[in-house]
Amino acid sequence: MTVSEHTTAGFRNEPILELRRAPARESLLAALRELDAKLPLKVPVVIGGDRGAAEGIDSTDPGAPERLVARAGRASEEDAAAAVEVAVRGFREWGARPAVERAEALRGAAARLRERRLELAALQVRECAKPWGEADADVCEAIDFLEYYAREAIELDRGRPILQAPGERNTMRYVPRGVTAVISPWNFPLAIPCGMTAAALATGNAVVLKPAEQSPGSAGALADALYGAGVPPDALALVPGYGDAGAALVRDPRVHVIAFTGSGAVGLEILRSAAETLEGQDHVKRVVSEMGGKNCVIVDSDADLDDAVPEIVYSAFGYAGQKCSAAARVLVHEATADTLVERLAGAVNVLTVGQAESFATEVPPVIERESQERVMSHRASAADHLAASAEPVPERGWFVPPSVVVGLPEDSPVNREEIFGPLLAVTTVRDVDEAMDVIDSLPFALTGGLFSRSPATVERVAARSPVGNLYVNRGITGAMVGRQPFGGNRRSGSGAKAGGPDYLLQFVEPRVVTENTMRHGIPVE
Amino acid sequence: MEAELQRVGRAVEAELQRIGRLIHAAFPGRGLNPLRALDHKAMELASQDMELRAALFRFVDVTPACRSLDDLARHLTGYLDEVDARPPPLEAAMKMSGTKAGRAALGAAAAAGVRRMAHRFIVGETPRAALRSIRDLWEHGAAVSLDLLGETTVTEAEADHYAARCVDALETLAAAAPRWPGRPVLEADSLGPLPRVNLSAKVSALTPLLRPEAPELGREDAARRMRPVLARAKELGAHLHIDMESVDTQEATLDLVFELLDEPELRDGPSAGIVIQAYLRESPEQLERVIDWARGTGRRPPLVVRLVKGAYWDQEVVEARQHGWTPPVFEAKRESDRNFEVLTRRLLESWPYLRPAIASHNLRSVAHAVAYNRELGREHRELELQVLRGLGDDLAAALTQHGMRVRVYCPVGDLVAGMAYLVRRLLENTANESFLGEQQRGTPIEELLAAP
Repeated sequence: MTVSEHTTAGFRNEPILELRRAPARESLLAALRELDAKLPLKVPVVIGGDRGAAEGIDSTDPGAPERLVARAGRASEEDAAAAVEVAVRGFREWGARPAVERAEALRGAAARLRERRLELAALQVRECAKPWGEADADVCEAIDFLEYYAREAIELDRGRPILQAPGERNTMRYVPRGVTAVISPWNFPLAIPCGMTAAALATGNAVVLKPAEQSPGSAGALADALYGAGVPPDALALVPGYGDAGAALVRDPRVHVIAFTGSGAVGLEILRSAAETLEGQDHVKRVVSEMGGKNCVIVDSDADLDDAVPEIVYSAFGYAGQKCSAAARVLVHEATADTLVERLAGAVNVLTVGQAESFATEVPPVIERESQERVMSHRASAADHLAASAEPVPERGWFVPPSVVVGLPEDSPVNREEIFGPLLAVTTVRDVDEAMDVIDSLPFALTGGLFSRSPATVERVAARSPVGNLYVNRGITGAMVGRQPFGGNRRSGSGAKAGGPDYLLQFVEPRVVTENTMRHGIPVE
Repeated sequence: MEAELQRVGRAVEAELQRIGRLIHAAFPGRGLNPLRALDHKAMELASQDMELRAALFRFVDVTPACRSLDDLARHLTGYLDEVDARPPPLEAAMKMSGTKAGRAALGAAAAAGVRRMAHRFIVGETPRAALRSIRDLWEHGAAVSLDLLGETTVTEAEADHYAARCVDALETLAAAAPRWPGRPVLEADSLGPLPRVNLSAKVSALTPLLRPEAPELGREDAARRMRPVLARAKELGAHLHIDMESVDTQEATLDLVFELLDEPELRDGPSAGIVIQAYLRESPEQLERVIDWARGTGRRPPLVVRLVKGAYWDQEVVEARQHGWTPPVFEAKRESDRNFEVLTRRLLESWPYLRPAIASHNLRSVAHAVAYNRELGREHRELELQVLRGLGDDLAAALTQHGMRVRVYCPVGDLVAGMAYLVRRLLENTANESFLGEQQRGTPIEELLAAP
């Protein structure tokens, strides 16, 4: 049991498609045509292997709202309770299986996703308006989570080395907690539900998965892959639904762990609700909560703008800014501010806004009408400060013109609130220290960026920055499993790092056994 | 058939060895210019220690962004601080940085060093400023292809500006060129006249819309700006060469060139060219595609194909490894060198549909091209040999001495714009296995000319 035997050594990230090659692009377009012929997909509520009716939730194409992508069942509060009931039973059997067997099932699910990766990417293009490159990357990340946690769980199952003294044997092991409710968002429709579900299952918990109502199709594909690879029906329930079903899961006294990724408002409500220990509840709930950000990129006077401009543009406007890691603000040194703003504005003006299925599209529509209205209202509030905007945008679909606003007052809501859309605010600062003061004044601390070519500045910012993931001289999105364990601090999250070596600890409880090995005063070992 | 191939192979090899020695013997002596000796010393230090090499490159790279001498000195010592074993001159530099006056002196010295180095590779800040150097080269028997260095194009305005610079460069050169003396070797081959004015242009600079996953978008936008540049080149009787960059843009670049050159108003000029990079695994197929196009098109004058090894090796390998892809380039230098010879032969065999230009500083690669050209029964003037300003100066001098047709690729631009180019050239020059490195270390001629 040494560190060098760590089983994640064999892990490698699933290679993304080489989309610069025409045949790779053609294969995706063919997969999209095949998928289109099958729409709408049917995604029932699945509890204990019983598949309910697939109606109640319609998921549509954000770029063509009349196109029905998936028709899903809508889980009620009663369904949520029934799913937990079955999961309590399922946990006994699944949790008792050897870690290696559970890992095999997860890796089998990874293989199933791999086989369907083109189709699953196409599904995200339709269901979530994810451009191809990002849709493909999301499928790869889902595969990565399964492969990575499968290996990590085997490692964790060996326990951790602790001190031994003569005459006693000390062991520290980790056991599953119980029923885990996974409440996932639509913006990484396969990878995020997959990561939370895989972590819970790998460590022996049973899962009730409540995916976002905007993306039940991808969640259905995830459940199919897991069932197909041998995860028992009682150990995993799929309950597509709205907030009421999610809230019922959070309240349920039989739920041990709640793994949530989504908005700050919902996350804080979950933390509050889960803190209440109900009559008959025999445990304290653990909440893993990944929430929003107001992510800032610092551009120092010695930054290489040839790199900084394209990286900032992609970080802010890739997937229309709908990533929790996306860049929302640029804090630029006064010496380079004018040049940066001019080049940034010029680069944003030529962004290609369009349907996700076009390889040329850089900014797709946002997820739904409500998002469009929210972002447009923020944009209108900062209209006097507009420095760039890629217009016009298509009429059909929930499009928002990607925009840059410059020089807003520090207390403007556009500077302070998470907008989750293609709107970037630029603020000029005297120096890097003033930029750090601005960052310190924000309640969030998810990702951050720094463009500087001074080793001393890099070290100073790294030491002071509160963010969970700081990226230096590169874009601030696109964390890779195993390479950039991902998650925020402060009000951005509970500090668990998805895709990192500490993540599984959230889903287990540690137990220590100390055995006296003396018999009649003689050590028997 | 087999026996005939072997005979040709032996004949070419023998001729190559002979020509290689002739060229080598004609290399000018060195060590006369103390500043140049200093550059050699710096490069030698950088070649020996990877950490030091990284530190020096990072410093060269940041130089134009520094706001003061003090800022320069702080950056320099910041990078040197990360080097474990510092040679004595740099240890002294670290000590100087303790005081404000020391930093000012250090910053000034370092800035001068970078400017001198840049001047070695960059002929001037503008085409006009470069005219004297260009004429000097011409008088010494070497033609020029001018390359306009620029920052990465991320906006429409930057793309428009680059296109305007291209037209200005063509016009500036065209106005000056008639006053240059006659140089028959440089002015015609048996297929016809060769323009005195020659400009190299980059597709990525002509559009902010190049995206690897959507080549048609950038291609159309670049075509819109390249059309007037080609038209102007045609009016002025100039040559326009389209450079090749990383694999991310190669599809757009090749498609763009074929599409534009086949347009009716460009079918009888200007003289144009493209680049094949021998380090690419798929370069043989690319060359076949170019040959097919050239045979099929009735366009005149013939397309010039510049064969290079390729200058984006590190970038291609790192990007591929990060994404879990097979690198698109040969990973062993020997494989690239071997492929270079295969492509050289194929290219020379495609004459007169294509005009060959062999761009290499590797003595063996150059001698091989010259020998094979001779084996095909052609004169020196049917083959162009290209070198880079600052890297291939000695080779160019040796080649012109033997009456060969030489063109020097001359970058023009300010220090900010030229930095990416400069760093790439320095990387090349200090790479341990580079030909220039070997040559400077005095590797014996047998090894320099050994088959890869």
